[in-house]
Amino acid sequence: MLLLRLAWRNVLRNRRRTILTLLSMVGGYVIVTLVLSVNYGSYDQMLEQYTRDSIGHVQVTADQYLDRPRLQRTVPVDESLRGQLSQAQGVRMLTPRLESGALAYGEERSLPVEVRGVEPDQEDRLSRLSNRLSAGRYLSAERDGHGQHEALIGARVARQLDLEPGADLVLIAQGADGSLANELYTVVGILGDTEAVESRWVVLPLAAAQDFYVLPDQAHRWIILGDDFQRAERLAAAVRSSLAGDANWADNALQVSPWQVVAREFYETMQADQQGGMIASYILIFLVCIGVLNTILMSVMERTGEFGVLKAIGTPPHRLFGMIVLETLVLATLACGLGFLLAWPINLWLTLVGIPMSEPIEVSGLYFSHFRGRMSWDMFAIPTALVWFTALLVALYPATRAARLTPLDAMRRL
Amino acid sequence: MQASIQRKASADPTADVVFETRELSRHYGSGDTLVKALDQVSLTIAPREFTAIVGPSGSGKSTLLQLMGGLEAPTAGEVYLRGQAISAMSGRDLSDFRRDHIGFIFQAYNLIPVLTAAENCEYIMLLQGVPKAERQARVDSMLNRVGLSGKADRRPAQLSGGQQQRVAVARAMVSQPDIILADEPTANLDSQTGSDLLDMMHELNRREGMTFVFSTHDPMIMERASRLIQLRDGRIESDEVRA
Ligand SMILES: Nc1ncnc2c1ncn2[C@@H]1O[C@H](COP(=O)(O)OP(=O)(O)OP(=O)(O)O)[C@@H](O)[C@H]1O
Ligand SMILES: [Mg+2]
Repeated sequence: MLLLRLAWRNVLRNRRRTILTLLSMVGGYVIVTLVLSVNYGSYDQMLEQYTRDSIGHVQVTADQYLDRPRLQRTVPVDESLRGQLSQAQGVRMLTPRLESGALAYGEERSLPVEVRGVEPDQEDRLSRLSNRLSAGRYLSAERDGHGQHEALIGARVARQLDLEPGADLVLIAQGADGSLANELYTVVGILGDTEAVESRWVVLPLAAAQDFYVLPDQAHRWIILGDDFQRAERLAAAVRSSLAGDANWADNALQVSPWQVVAREFYETMQADQQGGMIASYILIFLVCIGVLNTILMSVMERTGEFGVLKAIGTPPHRLFGMIVLETLVLATLACGLGFLLAWPINLWLTLVGIPMSEPIEVSGLYFSHFRGRMSWDMFAIPTALVWFTALLVALYPATRAARLTPLDAMRRL
Repeated sequence: MQASIQRKASADPTADVVFETRELSRHYGSGDTLVKALDQVSLTIAPREFTAIVGPSGSGKSTLLQLMGGLEAPTAGEVYLRGQAISAMSGRDLSDFRRDHIGFIFQAYNLIPVLTAAENCEYIMLLQGVPKAERQARVDSMLNRVGLSGKADRRPAQLSGGQQQRVAVARAMVSQPDIILADEPTANLDSQTGSDLLDMMHELNRREGMTFVFSTHDPMIMERASRLIQLRDGRIESDEVRA
């Protein structure tokens, strides 16, 4: 207790200097918190959007489909499986998708396209596909007056093949049984622009796609959405255990993967990006360190004579070392406390309101309109650990110096 | 007198000798610039002695006290505390030795400025691992004995020079050392305050039997010593015991 009191009073000894040091530490803390928070918050926003719009939180596929997609590697589209999946803890929505390639023909030209068979209503509820329409209307599962199924096409498909809503689209591909598939569809809507992810898509009602590829009652992925993309691992586990609990599906080689596995490369580059975003704050921490080191060194040098007396009367070196470290940690703790009080409301505001961008920016097909924060305990814990750790590191040199003093040499400097 | 003490010492080294130096030397520099700050000094200090070390500036008073207190290593010779040689001690042992056996009073700047008078005294007992309740009791009684009972909560800056030195005496005493070494404790005080401090130290010496060795320039202060060791050029010039 006396030692803590001693450290505390030594910290208060040169108030002006303490305040300056504290300010730089608090500033470092707040800036690191906010950089961290906006960094994570923006990625959260992006991932939230990305998983919802494109890959879901969890996918159920045939074994190996994710690594090597083949037309034949399918999952059943079956009411009992649907029921079993939706029973899993945390599942909010689910929908099947059939995915393959085809060659599309317009009047004059042809173009390779990505075909997606979806359940129009479920798909729209889950991925809000209709929001991405740039022309025409959304897909229905019904055949039109000519007995043709409807199709949505990407903007590039529309342009290359010179197609507009109402036009006919021809798809040609090989079916699962090896036969040549060949079918006519009515374009009802166009998705996004030519730069969008959907630009080469042809979206068909699931039943139409199953007919086309000769995959009755089958698809390639069940897309599952839970409440939070950050809890995808837990959701995947729940889905797995739900499947394991049903004799029909327990032995089936179904693979349940969270989005981090489905989009492994994307996830990894994103994490690297995020680290890159932190470099600025590491530099900042470094600068703060230099300032703090300077202060502590100064306060140690000033007290050299005093340390000499302390050593003369029998203070062992490690005590003196501990004293300097303790002083620095007292300062660091104070800085973290003040930093937290300051950063918390700002972060709350960033999380709830955010800073609108003058123009939304696009990162790999995803749009940001706001800088947003993330309100979670680690946004404060990381800077706290960082400030503490660096303070400790910075204290080592002055503390070692003080510990090594010989009492007489030190006292001569009084 | 000195001879008789030495004879007793060899018969029973712990009974009548607290401190002993044998041919203690401390040299600084080398060749032309060699300074024999202390040159083969042998002396013994008996318990309850109140010894003044006097001599002109540069005669080696501080050097002798520093060697006795284990603050400096001798060039040659040996210092014994109750028969134990302190030059054999390693750094950590030496530090513990000073903490447990020696009370130091320096000319000035003895105290930690951010601690109160009481806390300054408590600090050394904290190092010794004395339990809190006992620390408190010993601090109270010690400050009382040096006449500072009302000033326990003052910081050094709020005390006069004489009061600060009293706190330093209290701090030196409170750890219950074998001997208190004081290097010119009154040098920064006016002569009246210096005499008062010495009277107080003498009182502690008589009543509680604490052994003191102090150096001084001041003839008024020398008067109060029960033994006067005179140094010149690092050697003992005279060693006289008064009644
Ligand atoms: N660290 C040192 N380096 C070199 N010479 C030293 C050192 N310390 C002391 N001396 C020399 O040793 C001699 C004795 O010094 P010491 O300090 O013991 O004298 P003193 O009797 O205490 O003097 P004063 O009354 O001025 O305090 C002096 O000549 C001094 O210059
Ligand atoms: Mg001296």
